[in-house]
Amino acid sequence: LLIQTVGVREGWGRYRGPSCTYSLARHFSAAKLKSEQFSDVLQISDSCTQRLKEIATNDLPFLRICVEGGGCSGFQYKFDMDKTINEDDRVFEKNGAKVVVDETSLEYVKGSTVDYHEELIRSAFRIISNPKAEHGCSCGSSFSVKID
Amino acid sequence: VKGKRLIPTRAALTLTPSAVQRIKKLLESKPECIGLKIGVKHRGCNGLSYTLEYTEKKSAMDEEVVQDGVRVLIDQKAQLTLLGTEMDYQESKLASEFVFNNPNIKGTCGCGESFSI
Repeated sequence: LLIQTVGVREGWGRYRGPSCTYSLARHFSAAKLKSEQFSDVLQISDSCTQRLKEIATNDLPFLRICVEGGGCSGFQYKFDMDKTINEDDRVFEKNGAKVVVDETSLEYVKGSTVDYHEELIRSAFRIISNPKAEHGCSCGSSFSVKID
Repeated sequence: VKGKRLIPTRAALTLTPSAVQRIKKLLESKPECIGLKIGVKHRGCNGLSYTLEYTEKKSAMDEEVVQDGVRVLIDQKAQLTLLGTEMDYQESKLASEFVFNNPNIKGTCGCGESFSI
């Protein structure tokens, strides 16, 4: 089983197996960190890159995303422009656009895509295709987490 | 015939200057459209949510609001829910959106997108 777990982890780039092996997988935190270096765990869409380039200034150079309790579905995303990078932050970069997520929040947005969505009634940053989110509010700012 | 009194009617919808400006800008890029049309849809966690679309012609039952040179049409089904609403446009770095200050609503969702009356 141990060998199998490692195989799955390396094969997929990050852990996607059932939860019963998760506690086992936690023992391989070194392997986990290594595999995360290969796969960008937070995708940044082109529209997000473009918008970030427009709004980033020297004072507030990057977008910070955090997940908070609240909203009608249990959790909600918060977007903010920020300038300080803390110790527990992970930085994702694409074509010069920087997105920063702290470790705790990253657990909830792993594998999803940051997007800047423009439509007639509203233009805003949003998180799409979050594999951890079960269902969300219609606005997409709130979601509940899949329990596996 | 005398004594014909003109009763001033209130517009069903008022637009803030920032909303007027934004709509003007939107319509400049779409010269074939006569205005924007507001509607409501059953959606979201609080029952209803607003919809906004370009429109090329006015249907018979649409309520027309013309203010400062921009035309906004209100869908027949939305007229009762929208009566007296102020339409605003708020813009920030992270998000820019039309906001409806609706006096008829009883509750909204946390994000403000969905509401009940």
